[in-house]
Amino acid sequence: MSSEEPKAAADAAPAADAEKSKRSPSDFLKSVLGRPVRVKLNSGIEYRGVLACLDGYLNMALEQSEEYGPDGLLKAKYGDCFIRGNNVLYVSTQKRR
Amino acid sequence: MANRILPLELIDKAIGSKIWILMRGTKEIVGNLRGFDDYVNLVLDDAIEYSPDPKDKTKIIKTELKSEILLNGNQIAVLVPGGTGPPEDSLAAKAR
Repeated sequence: MSSEEPKAAADAAPAADAEKSKRSPSDFLKSVLGRPVRVKLNSGIEYRGVLACLDGYLNMALEQSEEYGPDGLLKAKYGDCFIRGNNVLYVSTQKRR
Repeated sequence: MANRILPLELIDKAIGSKIWILMRGTKEIVGNLRGFDDYVNLVLDDAIEYSPDPKDKTKIIKTELKSEILLNGNQIAVLVPGGTGPPEDSLAAKAR
């Protein structure tokens, strides 16, 4: 078993190496699912919460979400919220929590 | 003909380096390009967001996002590979 694993890793290495520096939007979304995120909308409003689910339109559902105004002040808290994807400017990972 | 380059190839060459993004409207973003897709949604590292101060349009607010972001391609207007962002007083100069 121990001899198999390094071999398999070595076989996968060249392809993985070329792709290592690349990270497509779908890779990013897969990695942030279930994690705390910050979602900024085009209007300047920002939502922070745990990303519960999303689709290819960037429609998403957040849990334990907090709404921040363009000034960065907390405006509201929601248990769950749905964000329609067309409003999304960016999705960012969030280290705290 | 043979060595024509596609627009997306140009962006592909910018992966791993700094890129300057001008959004529709007044927002600009600079970051390290990690990847992109066919819609030109971008994955950026260490992104910095530049936007005019709503109270005083002669000032630029610079926000360091300090984490990896997925930028929606929908609002992107221009990409400048290797660009390091707006000159410190460019927006202010335009407003005057």
